[in-house]
Amino acid sequence: MWHRLITAFLIGLLGLTSGMLSAQPAQAAGCTLTAIVWEGYTDASFAQKFEQETGCAIKATYAGSSDEMFAKFRTGGGRTYDLISASGDITERLYKAGLVRPIDTSKLENYDSIFSPFQKGDWNSFDGKPYGVTFAWGPNVLLYNTEKVATSPTSWDVLFDPQYAGQITIPDNPMTIADVALWLGKADPYDLTDADLAEVKDKLLELRPSIRKFWATAGELANLFQSGEVVLAHAWPLTYTQLIEADYPVGSVNPKGELTGWTDSWMISKNSRNVDAAYKWIDFILSGEGQKGVMDVTGYSGATELGVEAVGPERAKELFMDDLSLHEEIKMWQSVQNYDKWVQLWNEIRS
Amino acid sequence: MGAALERNPQLEPLITQPSEAQFSEAQPRRRDRTPVALYATLLPPLVWMTLLYFVPIAILISYSFWRLEAFDIVREFSLVNFQTIFGNTAYRTVIVRTVMTALGVTAIDAAIALPLAFFITRFGGRYHTLLTLLVILPLWSSYLVRVFAWKIILGYNGILNSALLSLGILQQPSQIFLYNQFSTTLTFVHVWLPFMILPVITAFERLPKDLLEASADLNAPPLTTFRKVALPLVTPGLLAGSINVFALTMGDFITPNLIGGPSGIMLGNVISSQFGVSYNWPLGAAFALVVMLIVFLALTVVVRRGALE
Repeated sequence: MWHRLITAFLIGLLGLTSGMLSAQPAQAAGCTLTAIVWEGYTDASFAQKFEQETGCAIKATYAGSSDEMFAKFRTGGGRTYDLISASGDITERLYKAGLVRPIDTSKLENYDSIFSPFQKGDWNSFDGKPYGVTFAWGPNVLLYNTEKVATSPTSWDVLFDPQYAGQITIPDNPMTIADVALWLGKADPYDLTDADLAEVKDKLLELRPSIRKFWATAGELANLFQSGEVVLAHAWPLTYTQLIEADYPVGSVNPKGELTGWTDSWMISKNSRNVDAAYKWIDFILSGEGQKGVMDVTGYSGATELGVEAVGPERAKELFMDDLSLHEEIKMWQSVQNYDKWVQLWNEIRS
Repeated sequence: MGAALERNPQLEPLITQPSEAQFSEAQPRRRDRTPVALYATLLPPLVWMTLLYFVPIAILISYSFWRLEAFDIVREFSLVNFQTIFGNTAYRTVIVRTVMTALGVTAIDAAIALPLAFFITRFGGRYHTLLTLLVILPLWSSYLVRVFAWKIILGYNGILNSALLSLGILQQPSQIFLYNQFSTTLTFVHVWLPFMILPVITAFERLPKDLLEASADLNAPPLTTFRKVALPLVTPGLLAGSINVFALTMGDFITPNLIGGPSGIMLGNVISSQFGVSYNWPLGAAFALVVMLIVFLALTVVVRRGALE
């Protein structure tokens, strides 16, 4: 009888434990950093060097959009992630939500090497104090298959060319609305009225039949090109680098006056338990090795003089790091006040 | 029935009392212990279900009545999310599309499963187990792998296009196979098919053969036998399979994301985007509640028709 009772209890317990094992929190110990980043910012090619030098490891989660990044960073009271590679559209939101701590620049040996316009940018400094360390930036570019698209396009209008209907892809991200607003000639693509949004919607509906697929991750985008599904894309430079490495015939253009982009800064969580290691990581990314690593993997532009030295003057010129002319031309991602309307518009386009 | 019992008062004690007396006399100790064993067995799953099922659902429901304001969740009761969902034509379209897709997939799966299960149980013979195993076999591979396989088959440079080109049927690879409602439905039909076939096979196995023979002996044509004898008896299995497929399709967002068209999102995609890119958890929770209500509604309909008997 007892035997049966115990068996019954054990069977019941077994159901519980099997789940408990997997539910155990993967808690980082010692100086294992956790970060939520854009794809490529913690690539093993250079993160390994950081691990060798400091003995600290970095574990990263990739985000698909700024809002996702913000939401994930905030859950768990900011204890889940030590670091965030925040773009300009959420830095202020993170500061206002009290999720990040001011940066003690004396702890960063390479801080002085950052281009001076980036040291006290209005996107990374609040209340006179730096909260973010800018380390990379870039435009959203127009990618095309050089074999299928004979002449190098000069403007986004090529997306509306019936010749390429059904062979284009754009990001599955409401921020794309800002790009469409730029195509429509809006002065400030991040401050759109309801009437502006209606115009954007019409433009997008005009484009929709030509869209083969909305891409969600950089990996998916590269796959769409490689499997022959698309020949034109609104994309991040990261995909250009990935496709060039895969020997795919790809070209990249920055249509003049119609560029959106981002400036990314490392921010440290207010509740981080690995602050010293976080400073070490930021310092490493500002160093020549770290900057070169980020630039090589992503194709984005760096933000420090050490980075310019590491990649050489020619590559630095290619990435517009010599005079920052492109940086001024790009309409950098900013906070959008009526963002819920943007999201709703985007869902309407997708349904 | 009640009247019959009243007229035969002695019938009641005849049925219940002797058995109870017999039970308590023969095994008095067992009766005392059974509840303890029962509770010991039930307690861990109960704790498990409460913590990981009922509590999260309660949290989800409460979220759906909160709202988002300036990137902050306001914890006050409001129906604004449901107004958004039902007041917006785009969202209504998504709801209708999702329900129609789920119903369509269920119907197609049922149409495939019925003859297949009938064949396996009636003519499978000694291969019966093997054939059943083959039906379950796809479940051993990852769901994602099966979805990706369809992408490879239906793609622009995919297997289907290559085959049609080499056969001379097409001159140019066609784009009509992938990234639309057709490819979504096809993938759903394929990946959920085992969930339909298995209950239907079980139902056919329990179908007594002599009933079919009796029907034939009474000169019923095969189709009439199927319609009047077999179908009513396998309906519970069919309905159980249907609710599986319907619920799985209603909540899925991966297939429409990977295989679906640019304007073919389903409720699962809306929910994932509300919880992900747009950080509107209240609206996402409200959408999740809508999905749950639709599935529960379907479940009620199906249970009333005897699905789980």
